[in-house]
Amino acid sequence: MDDAVHNSVATAASRKLSRREMLGVGGALLLGGGIATGFRWASGHERGMRAEVFIGKARDYRADFTFIIQEGFAALGIGRGDIQGKRILLKPNLVETAPGQAHINTHPAVIVGAVEALHRLDARAVIVAEGHGHHRDSRLILDESGTGAALEEAGVDFVDLNHDEFVAVPNRGGWTNLAPLYLPKTLLSVDWVISVPKLKTHHWAGVTCSMKNLFGVMPGVVYGWPKNVLHYAGIPESILDINTTVKPSFAIVDAVVGMEGDGPIMGTPKDVGCIVMGRNLPAVDATCVRIMNLNPYGVPYLAQASGRLGPIHESNIAQRGEPIAALRTRFELLDAPHLKSVASG
Amino acid sequence: MPMNWPVAVLDRLTAAAHADGGWGYLAGAAPCTEPTCLACLALSAYKTDTETYARGLAWLARLQRPDGSVPVASNVTSPCWTTGLAALAWSASMGETAVNYHAQIEKAAAWLLRTHGKPIAPNPRVYGHDTTLPGWAWVENSHSWVEPTTYAVLALRAAGKEKHPRVRDGVRLILDRAIPNGGWNYGNTRVFANTLRPFPGPTGIALTALGGEPSDSRIDSGIAYLIPELPRVRAPLSLSWGLMGLSARGKRPDESPQWLEECARRVLRSGSNAMYDALLLLADADHCPITHRSLEVATTNG
Repeated sequence: MDDAVHNSVATAASRKLSRREMLGVGGALLLGGGIATGFRWASGHERGMRAEVFIGKARDYRADFTFIIQEGFAALGIGRGDIQGKRILLKPNLVETAPGQAHINTHPAVIVGAVEALHRLDARAVIVAEGHGHHRDSRLILDESGTGAALEEAGVDFVDLNHDEFVAVPNRGGWTNLAPLYLPKTLLSVDWVISVPKLKTHHWAGVTCSMKNLFGVMPGVVYGWPKNVLHYAGIPESILDINTTVKPSFAIVDAVVGMEGDGPIMGTPKDVGCIVMGRNLPAVDATCVRIMNLNPYGVPYLAQASGRLGPIHESNIAQRGEPIAALRTRFELLDAPHLKSVASG
Repeated sequence: MPMNWPVAVLDRLTAAAHADGGWGYLAGAAPCTEPTCLACLALSAYKTDTETYARGLAWLARLQRPDGSVPVASNVTSPCWTTGLAALAWSASMGETAVNYHAQIEKAAAWLLRTHGKPIAPNPRVYGHDTTLPGWAWVENSHSWVEPTTYAVLALRAAGKEKHPRVRDGVRLILDRAIPNGGWNYGNTRVFANTLRPFPGPTGIALTALGGEPSDSRIDSGIAYLIPELPRVRAPLSLSWGLMGLSARGKRPDESPQWLEECARRVLRSGSNAMYDALLLLADADHCPITHRSLEVATTNG
């Protein structure tokens, strides 16, 4: 795990990028002083890729999240025609719980707000599903996080993806040697998968947001607890393979209170005060990284996603709602060599 | 009003079995090895439906591969962390059923003794545990963790290999993964600067494997963590394993029948889940086939 993770982070940009491309991105970024060159390269590399991302203010968890998310849908041009009749799976980030540590998991108010907003656009069914990475006991996490009670009150079903039936599907990414990928049947039965993560730093990946959150769709019965196989295969590469294969339709990020420092579980709360939404997950995550005042090009999975799964360059992302500058706040990272590139910028 | 919940849960568990043997995690789902093993263990404790029980054991035997491993489901050949559970289920059936699974147990034990988790070069700056100890992994060719190591230790003990060096290594690994302040999680004690949190389920699982072991401060700390934790837990997996762990150390709380009933009432209101149902039954059983061996070993060890 240790070596595997270090290696995967260090070589993250090397698998799918040619040496020449690496000199453009990796070289420019890692050596410093050439950051502007890297940005220009990335901008050009993403030619033709455009995405819209919405940022909506939410001072705390008493906010009306249904309203904010509806506003986001409207700003992004998502209407009844997109949602009506669809079966939608919301994938929050529910990792583990501890008293007074509400900043670990996606807040239930955000999840329930999203459910209601989707129902108002006449979704046929909305389910919430997660395959916890550290914990086999979904009931305990639902109990202790308050999510179980919130879902019960809202009449929403929860599916434990760790113990769902699973089927083999081709790995459409090819960044790792994981083939096939095993995915839960429930995930494959829906029309839309919406990633609903918590905005956090991550002591290996740098940042965990809507793309890394999809680790949680991989069934623990096949991948273990923790999903150590994905670490061995390479965290950034696994993120890319899962996202390429699952093809999530949308992301709604709980960035009301995030986590900085030793994320994704042992860090400290960080007030941000917003919800970030969009159809393109790399663009959403890049926007979130900018809100964290960190460097999206230094996050290996985002650097690799750029130009392939979506745009991460600021000029290719149309910002809706609040401007990034209004919410930008520096997230502290663990002081570790493999995270230096994330912090620079 | 008190209810005879074990009867209701047992009925539901029996009804959830597939016609040709095997249980899925959820009602109607394709059979998987773990719920089938746990269901067989539960049925062995209650001795009610011998035919369903026999079909479950036979389903597991059909799944066993020539090398002795038992994969997690019939649609894959790996991972095989469930091999220990299958061996445990077959061991509990010895003398109870017409079919003798001794050969299957031996093959499974041989596979367990051949396999181990992947060690990692020590890096104390990053990890708090001894990354070189050979336990068992969830997935072949990855690191060792508490739960698969527990299943292997329990299975090898049940197969009469209590003194085998691999069992002793497994016990050492489980003890090494104890959180310094008490209890266990999946198997990381510290990563970078922070000590991680224990959870009740893995703590119960670890204590179950350590049931027959001599006294140790890490075991005492695990019990000390779990005793005040369980009264608030009504999630079947954590409560059941927590109680089995305490039972294996002879520390079962007097209030456990009430907790189990409250949990069972809740579980019976939701859809059938063979893993939860079986674990509740095992936690309530007078003669739990998972923990009784630990108690026997403890007696032998004096």
